[in-house]
Amino acid sequence: MSDEEKKRAQSYLEKLKQTALQQQHYGGEIKQTPASMDARDCPNCGAGRAFRHGLTSCAYCGFVFMDTTLTDGIYIKKENNSK
Amino acid sequence: MFGFGRKYDNPALIAEINETQQRWFAFLDKLEARVGEMCAAAIPELKTVFAQDKDPYKRAHGHLLSGLQGQLSLIRTKANDAREEKINGLIYAAEGVIPPITSAEGSKYHQLLHTFRMACFNRHHIFEEKLHVAMEKLQAAAGERDLETAYREQLEAFEAIKDKFNCQQCGGNITIPKMFFIATYVSCPFCQTQNTFLPSTGAQMVLHDARALAEQRTAHLRQLAERTQPRNPDLHRQYYRAMINEWNKIVPDMAGENEKFYERLLKDIGHY
Amino acid sequence: MSENPLLAPIHGISLEDYSAACAKMGSGLSEEQVASALGVELPVWQEVNLLWPERMKQDETYHIITLFGQYFGQADQHPKFSNLQPTLSAEGADNTARIKTDKAFYAELEVARQVAYDYGQDGAQWILDNYGIPLGDFQVAASNWNEQIHRDIEADFEGYNAQQAAYRAKYEKFFAAAQGGNVADDIEF
Repeated sequence: MSDEEKKRAQSYLEKLKQTALQQQHYGGEIKQTPASMDARDCPNCGAGRAFRHGLTSCAYCGFVFMDTTLTDGIYIKKENNSK
Repeated sequence: MFGFGRKYDNPALIAEINETQQRWFAFLDKLEARVGEMCAAAIPELKTVFAQDKDPYKRAHGHLLSGLQGQLSLIRTKANDAREEKINGLIYAAEGVIPPITSAEGSKYHQLLHTFRMACFNRHHIFEEKLHVAMEKLQAAAGERDLETAYREQLEAFEAIKDKFNCQQCGGNITIPKMFFIATYVSCPFCQTQNTFLPSTGAQMVLHDARALAEQRTAHLRQLAERTQPRNPDLHRQYYRAMINEWNKIVPDMAGENEKFYERLLKDIGHY
Repeated sequence: MSENPLLAPIHGISLEDYSAACAKMGSGLSEEQVASALGVELPVWQEVNLLWPERMKQDETYHIITLFGQYFGQADQHPKFSNLQPTLSAEGADNTARIKTDKAFYAELEVARQVAYDYGQDGAQWILDNYGIPLGDFQVAASNWNEQIHRDIEADFEGYNAQQAAYRAKYEKFFAAAQGGNVADDIEF
């Protein structure tokens, strides 16, 4: 193997490595965010949302949090539809 | 052209056949040497880039590997093109000028061509196998992601944070009851308000990688199933059962869905 | 409509909704934006986003995944996302519209994208950088052209292959030049 030939494989590899390491990936860097807690009060009457009243609408003023019908999922179940 | 009663003789064709064969062998030797050179240089780089890639999907490593595989497939195409043009090209051209195989002279030349074709194709076959091995070596160079450690780190991280949240309504302390992998509602034990808990990116990745980790843990069973001849569906079933069990251990809340997927896998192996 | 239980909405989100949401996320909308367009909160969306793929895994007839592809291609017509477009440059918006109407443009860029990957580039990012077309829209175009291209292949297999080879040669030359040539360019028969 001549030096010239060695250079060819090496130089391709070097440029390829630069491309692979320096380019931006589609969707960007994955941000590592810590766990967090949040709550949504009723934007209409300010009441908190209690478990027994379901998730989809406000028990006090009827404001619709989510215009959908919950089914039996993993943690969220049919019973979580507001009555 | 050749006249009556004269013996067919074509030393130029014989010389061309010999020369083409030598060139073909030398050409493939050079391509193989270059493949070897590229892989020898690339394998340590693949390992380093993989180890240093902070991206959870190891995308920099993925693109590096893809750029190397791209070169191997260009080299494969280069050989295929030469085979078509130089080897097959010569065979077609020669078949057009030599006497029919049924004549004594023709038989000799057809035999020569046959030997040439077999030698060239066999050499090409060896080249293809070497390329295949090179492809596999590049793929395997970096090894597997250490999903077991990542998983253990996430379990520890969760233990450390699970008591550190407060209700956004009344401020009361909320203990997250178990490790969640997706956003979920958690009730405050004091005021019953539904809070939304969003797991860390790392915890969400556990769900994403759960099957891969289960497969790593049960790889020995998969290999046994895949390598056993004749094919034994029982071994495949045993592998799937063990893999799903591990998967369920990693993300117990997905067990219901995983079991439905298991039924599907059984149907696919014709064991249901 | 079929009575297939695997097609029942999940938390009220139908397969059409879900497919359109996936296309829109591929074009840069966040999970929060998609959830809000569908009228649900993040925990509901994340369950939906977990359970529709589970349905696809369970369906040995591939019916759901086929429908998913169809609905994915119709994402631009979905009423819940009509007011929600990711921001694109003027050129990007033109190209994004063109790839859905100009088959040759799509076919050429699909090859360019593949060749980009063969040279270690992120092909989806390359398309976005050079043409302003987000991946989701690229996939919508792919899903819409798929059938037409299959018919083209059946009608003229050799012509199709020759065209693909010409595109490939063009982009191999382009990307190889950017990398200083290929590893074995100097080796000749």
